[in-house]
Amino acid sequence: MPDAAQPDAAQLGAHSLLIVAWRLMWRDWRGGELRLLFLALVLAVTSVTGIALFTDRLERALMLESANMLAADRVLHTREPAPAEINAEAVRRGFRTAGTLSFTSMAFSDSGNMLVAAKAVSDAYPLRGEVITTQRPFTRGAPVAHGPPPGEAWLESRALPALGVEVGDQVFVGETELTVGAVIIAEPDRGQGGIVDNAGPRLMLHMDDVAATNVVQLGSRVSYRSLFSHDDFDQLDEFEQWVRDTFEGNYYIRDVREESEEVAEALDRAEGYLLLGSLFAVLLAGLAIALSARRYSERHYDYVAILKTLGCTSGRISAIYSLIQLKLAAAAVLLGSVLGYLVHEGILRALQASLQVDLPPPGVQPYAVGAMTAFICLLSFALPPLLALRETPPLRVLRKDLTQTRFSDRIPYAFGIGGSILLILWYSQDLVLTSLLVAGVAGTGLILSLISLVFLTSSGSAGMKAGNAWKLAMTAVRRRRRQNVLQVMVFSVTIMSLLILGLLRTDLIADWQAQLPENTPNHFMMNITGSQVDGIEAFFADNAVDSNAFYPLMSARVRTINGSEPESEGEPGENERGASLVENNQFEEAPAADAEAAPGSGESAEDEGRRVRGRLSRRQVTWATDLPVDNRVTAGEWWPENSRPGLISVDEEYADWLDIEIGDTMEFEINQQFVSAEVANFRSVRWDNMQPNFFIIFSPGTIDHLGGTFLSTVLLETEQKLLLNDLIRQFPTIVVIEVDALIEQIQNIIAQVSSAIELIFGLVLVAGALVLLACVSASLDERFHENAILRTLGAGRKLILTSLLIEFTFIGIVAGVIATLGAEGGLFYLQEWVFEQDFNLHYWVWIAGPAAGAVLIAFLGVNSTRKVVNTSPLTVLRRVV
Amino acid sequence: MIRTSGLTKRVPTSEGELTILEDVDLHIESGESVAIVGASGSGKSTLLGLMAGLDTATSGEIWLDGQKLSDMDEEQRALLRARTVGFVFQTFQLLPSLTALENVMLPIELKGDPGAGAKARELLDRVGLSDRWHHYPNQLSGGEQQRIAIARAFATRAGILFADEPTGNLDTATGGKVVDVLFNLNREFDTTLVLVTHDERLARKCGRTVKLVAGRIAGEEAAAEVAHA
Repeated sequence: MPDAAQPDAAQLGAHSLLIVAWRLMWRDWRGGELRLLFLALVLAVTSVTGIALFTDRLERALMLESANMLAADRVLHTREPAPAEINAEAVRRGFRTAGTLSFTSMAFSDSGNMLVAAKAVSDAYPLRGEVITTQRPFTRGAPVAHGPPPGEAWLESRALPALGVEVGDQVFVGETELTVGAVIIAEPDRGQGGIVDNAGPRLMLHMDDVAATNVVQLGSRVSYRSLFSHDDFDQLDEFEQWVRDTFEGNYYIRDVREESEEVAEALDRAEGYLLLGSLFAVLLAGLAIALSARRYSERHYDYVAILKTLGCTSGRISAIYSLIQLKLAAAAVLLGSVLGYLVHEGILRALQASLQVDLPPPGVQPYAVGAMTAFICLLSFALPPLLALRETPPLRVLRKDLTQTRFSDRIPYAFGIGGSILLILWYSQDLVLTSLLVAGVAGTGLILSLISLVFLTSSGSAGMKAGNAWKLAMTAVRRRRRQNVLQVMVFSVTIMSLLILGLLRTDLIADWQAQLPENTPNHFMMNITGSQVDGIEAFFADNAVDSNAFYPLMSARVRTINGSEPESEGEPGENERGASLVENNQFEEAPAADAEAAPGSGESAEDEGRRVRGRLSRRQVTWATDLPVDNRVTAGEWWPENSRPGLISVDEEYADWLDIEIGDTMEFEINQQFVSAEVANFRSVRWDNMQPNFFIIFSPGTIDHLGGTFLSTVLLETEQKLLLNDLIRQFPTIVVIEVDALIEQIQNIIAQVSSAIELIFGLVLVAGALVLLACVSASLDERFHENAILRTLGAGRKLILTSLLIEFTFIGIVAGVIATLGAEGGLFYLQEWVFEQDFNLHYWVWIAGPAAGAVLIAFLGVNSTRKVVNTSPLTVLRRVV
Repeated sequence: MIRTSGLTKRVPTSEGELTILEDVDLHIESGESVAIVGASGSGKSTLLGLMAGLDTATSGEIWLDGQKLSDMDEEQRALLRARTVGFVFQTFQLLPSLTALENVMLPIELKGDPGAGAKARELLDRVGLSDRWHHYPNQLSGGEQQRIAIARAFATRAGILFADEPTGNLDTATGGKVVDVLFNLNREFDTTLVLVTHDERLARKCGRTVKLVAGRIAGEEAAAEVAHA
């Protein structure tokens, strides 16, 4: 009879529940039931924490590194001194501040003079990065964390021989005399600014000496830069906002992205890739968790039925399994965090040589991200199938075929999808991107599952057909088609993720390498007259330097398009997008084809006003026989060598802006003369390649007679820079813009982000491999049972192994084909819409994808199920009964 | 102790509704041992499942330990089972990841009773498996597994024991040993025993035999005498 003294089961307290949950968990663990789920959770935490740690450190390092390009975190660029209250507010907020003032001036010495790009700096300059100085020109320097003290001038190497001075000698700038204190080998923000900062070698002086030079007068062409720095990125953003709000948009604090389009694009793409990599890693880990939780719950139907017959209520079953999962997650977070740290540290060490940046110490946030991910994954992927267990009918102890019926099979999927969306949203912080991704994935998933169902259904007929390995495999594929569709989907998604990341990585790196190849010319020569061209070419030939094309340069204004004159509204627009170095450095009013008014955007009255102003603005134009490098004709045809005059080639975006078509006639005013030309073709122009680029190019013979100057570029290595002195001495009227420092900095940043995306790809690869393993393991039980029966009935090892090989190879090929389809689709979307790259089909992947799928899945599958034939059938059957 | 009235169970199939049990009236007194016999498909296991509260009837009523099961939901039935009922199954239904000792401890722990380990060891000793406590089910023979299941069934001193073909998976000799253990403990703990079997020798060990034919009670027999046909 029941013992009346015993507590009622309903009164079982939280403490006892905890103990029961703990004991069940421990026993499950010991029995191996929880290992796969735990492994998947640890994998999720490890990969996410590892990637988060890595990206966090790398991103901060890249930000710091790129901040070096500004010598600060934020810069305020003005033509007049900035309001004092901005600096005061920055100091109040705990910022470090500094200032620079740039102007062009002549420097004199006893034995020479030359035009220099003078820059006065305050005591705290530079806030980020270092100035590299030495005592003798063209030698290796050492870093110093400050600029020249009052009374000193620091000069770039080539200025010293030009002026005939050495360190310790005197130079004059305006009305003051300064002592040459050091030779500048590099300065952090050398590439910033326009012509004022780059026309001539640098002469750096102290801010206090500026007044004495008497060079800077009211109306002088000078450039002020206020530098701000703070270690807390949030503080920087808040300060930026404060300036914007307080001065109602009259002053803009900029970061390196706003200052340098090339760097901004590289960083944006790298961040996009890192985000995508993290997303794939966490989704793959989620998939692994879902698969192993499903397997765990399937193996626990009997367990729960027995617990229920023993009097366990559904509520307590839920509580017990939730507690087990929580404990499991806590343990996984701890272990995963440690492993995540080790993984990221290991990879960093392995790649120390290729990673050209000092990493700041890791923060706490990545660990929180890893832990949160584990709990979200658990809640959305693992808990639903486990909670479904609560509905297992206790009658299952008598009738094995009974499973729970109230809890729909789809609910776990709904939770999984919900959880994935939540994760994507949380990671990307971008509702639009999330919606687009979800819609894309949902559509692709639907199509792919239909395709895989068709593939798998059509692969055989009824019965086991156990006499032949091929037939045995094909009937197995067909019999398990529901599980196989799921398995193929998981394999496809995994291979697809890896293909997308792999191909995107290759394309991104190739694109960057094409943007600024090794031999990119790093000096611009302007203001060259026609009579100087031959002389300059001869000069470079004598000195074994390759000269490049000389582009005639003229300032042109559009008068009419097809005979009608656009109405002018207001003043010419401000320079809204510096489209090319030529446009920038001319300081002409050069409103480029503003991205905001690109095709497809709604056209307001304001847009129309800007369009009209754009039509009326002046542009630098040229004429050319050959299509410039990096340009591609997108409509019409480039003119042949002996073409007739009177044709023009127009940048395609600019053509859109102007609303013109091939065959339209445009009239220009150039040097007070009117020239008409017919639009012959549109071109795509690579504006980020740091080369002369033009919106409009005339055919030969159209504007040649209108005079103008020439522009050319040249690649000079550091040891060849002295040639510039001779060049300028020989052709004193030309202006040389030195962009070598800027190009080098951009190339460095691109190399860093390239190695970053390589590393992320490696981590995702590991996550993908583990998902594949989890997926194969998920079907192990059924295979064990089935093959044990086959072996009992006399099937040989060879027959079973061959049939397994064929089955997995077939599944792998189907998954590979689907993955390839999905990857090309995904890449098209990502490259066209997210990374703004040109999409091209990757033909080799159409062979490599299915082949890789077949080899990978066959290897993993047969390897994992090998023990099916190595375990005695009796053991298997006894275990399963 | 257990009473059913007009108990009917029908299940939908692709060929229409199938009646498994129809209008079963049964009364089992406290401390009684009753064997339910019948051919395969006669509804024996279904009746046992319904009386134990593992399933719900289509119509009719069941009282278990004075409580009306038809008024209870699954949660309440589970609590009643925890307090009142023990089970022995044909397929043993031991948890494979637990040792023999842990399988026996499980219901005691679930009930929240103290001293689960000691009680379980004592019971294992009683079923003659004190030296096998640390073995897992797949390391034990069928007879040993069933003896562990019996020890588990008595672990919470439940008042009613339901046994579904307890010797169905065992050879005659082993089955005989298991039956001895089952009936010895049943007597010792004064448990009400409801046993489903098609083994007539086993059925004769019970105080009463109820025969099911096509879902209906076809007759009852008291021990050593036929009641009525």
